[in-house]
Amino acid sequence: MAKESLTEQIALTEVVAQEAPKKTSGVGLWLTQNGVFLFLVVLAVFAAFFVNGFGSLDNVTNILNRAVPLGIVAVGMTFVVISGNYLDLSVVAQVATSGVIFLAVGSEYGLGVAALAATGAAILYGLVNGLAVGLFKANAVIVTLATTYIGLGLLRYFSGGSIFFGPPDGPMDVFGSGKVGPVPYSAFVFLGLTLVLSLVLTRTNFGFLVKSFGVNERATRLGGVNTDMVIVGAFLVTALAAMIAGFVFAAFSNTAVSTMAQGFDFKALGAIIIGGTSVFGGRGSVLRTLLGVIFVSVLDNVLTLLGFTFGFQQLALGVLILLAVTLDVLSRKLGQQ
Amino acid sequence: MTQTMELGNLQKPGLGPKLKAFVRRRTEGRAVILLAVISLVVVFYEPLVFTAYPVTLGRIALIGLVALGLTAVILMGELDLSVASTLAASGVIVAVIPDLRIAIPVALLTGIAVGIVNAFFVAIVGIASFIATLGMLFGLSGLAFVLSGEVPVNLQNQDAGILFSQPVLGPLTPRILLFLLVFIALQLFVTRMKAGREFFAVGGNRQAAYDSGIPVKRRIFTGFIISGFVSALAGVIYTLTLTTASPDAGSNVLLSSFAAAIIGGNYLKGGKGSIVGTLLGATALGMLQTTFLMSGIQVPVQNTLIGAILLLAVITDPTSLRALIEKLRSALSKRAKVAPS
Repeated sequence: MAKESLTEQIALTEVVAQEAPKKTSGVGLWLTQNGVFLFLVVLAVFAAFFVNGFGSLDNVTNILNRAVPLGIVAVGMTFVVISGNYLDLSVVAQVATSGVIFLAVGSEYGLGVAALAATGAAILYGLVNGLAVGLFKANAVIVTLATTYIGLGLLRYFSGGSIFFGPPDGPMDVFGSGKVGPVPYSAFVFLGLTLVLSLVLTRTNFGFLVKSFGVNERATRLGGVNTDMVIVGAFLVTALAAMIAGFVFAAFSNTAVSTMAQGFDFKALGAIIIGGTSVFGGRGSVLRTLLGVIFVSVLDNVLTLLGFTFGFQQLALGVLILLAVTLDVLSRKLGQQ
Repeated sequence: MTQTMELGNLQKPGLGPKLKAFVRRRTEGRAVILLAVISLVVVFYEPLVFTAYPVTLGRIALIGLVALGLTAVILMGELDLSVASTLAASGVIVAVIPDLRIAIPVALLTGIAVGIVNAFFVAIVGIASFIATLGMLFGLSGLAFVLSGEVPVNLQNQDAGILFSQPVLGPLTPRILLFLLVFIALQLFVTRMKAGREFFAVGGNRQAAYDSGIPVKRRIFTGFIISGFVSALAGVIYTLTLTTASPDAGSNVLLSSFAAAIIGGNYLKGGKGSIVGTLLGATALGMLQTTFLMSGIQVPVQNTLIGAILLLAVITDPTSLRALIEKLRSALSKRAKVAPS
């Protein structure tokens, strides 16, 4: 008990020391930290007035349907980013694995078995990534790049690269196409998960340790915390979220294929960074990621409605990531003055 | 590595410690082991890899070129994820501009420009390299799609492409020769030139490098420019060889080039590694891929195996092993302390 409270105190002083906002440069600091709010409002207002069909209910449903799987991945991955381990590229493989398992196993043995299998796969991903990064101190980018290829290769081998269809009007299909007004069921799953994860990050010991690990790895370790397990935990959260995202994504179209989640890794990271979670770790929140996801999805939608192709969307996201990180660095510099 | 060290012990005293120190200083151990294992397996199961060596060499050149450029950046403890889409973008540029005399310089200049932008964000703005180059990875991949109109573009001057695939020196095609040229140039640069040797200092201890008067920022620019230029060159070669350019050409490059550099013993934290190591790593991977190709192993299985090798390579990094051993030791000593009480 005594040891734990000491840890908390050390970590707390660290967090407080780093996070305490300096009052000297108010407006600039606020802008650099919360610029995405402004951008989002400007973008939405612009779109509502000048883009045909943006405000329609159908389009809102469309945006939500696209945003939800990406969002679920992103809120989960926020844990890895905040813990200072950059990102988890293997979500691409995780989402696809889960989607394929839910449709392939689910239509054969029922959803319960499928859920068990998918959870097992997710835990395996989380453990391999987490142990390699936490215990072996390997670089997260490379480790998850490797597990992406391992996972996707195995998935493609076992699935034969084929597309799986769920039975029409099966439980997956009913869930995937159901909606309340313009809001699909899956959006509620996303919102619920965001709230839960937000509480985990801000209110539990584990969330606290993830944050303090991101701020100062050494201090957290010296405080007697088993830091390896914190990292494993962060990767497990990401993997479980990706599993749920796979379910939602497969249910939406009632199909699953090993390439279904291509681009999710970087897009989710883009949403996290644009939301304002620092890639340097330690600073950020799940709710900010929610905002980032909405921003990225609205932007994609507006660009599509305006007739811009995939290439331009990719280009825009790249520029936005660089801009967001530059802002992050600027806010750090302003905060230190 | 252990084998070589034992050998060192058998030598006469005097030479023994020297050899031991030499082995300990080298970082290519794992690459040598992997290469030896793969060579042995290949000799017995798929000797075609050796007899059809132009194919194998071509494969090695393909994997290795990007990895060589990447090594320059990794030596300084930075990552360059943008190599994949630099390759795609420069490949598309070569195909889109009809006159090759203009197209190739433009493509190579694009690579240099990418390097400068990357280095600007890393050295001047101060963004972690993996994220700055991630932005570039996205941006350039978008650019490649925009320039090509989202479809593969055929090279206008098909004859040049065909000519480019012909052997010029014995069995060596221009592609392999260019790869060797880049290897020799980089090896000389890193080991014999002041600027190149400073890479190790920048990667080993940046503050110390800065304090001892090494122009750290300029070296970071040098490294990223090398990496950008070399991957643009790889893109040009890729398009000329295939006589067509696809905007998503670089999708597998990221895995194989990073795998080659890491298997080659380059520390991701920087300061240790070698160009020779990357060559060995690329050779091992190239032979492995050719073996897969010739024995008809499916692509998904290939990717799984290469992914597994990369994972193994990155967790058997000496720093990782040391961290693990220390942890085990402290866990054991804790248990020993608890037991008597």
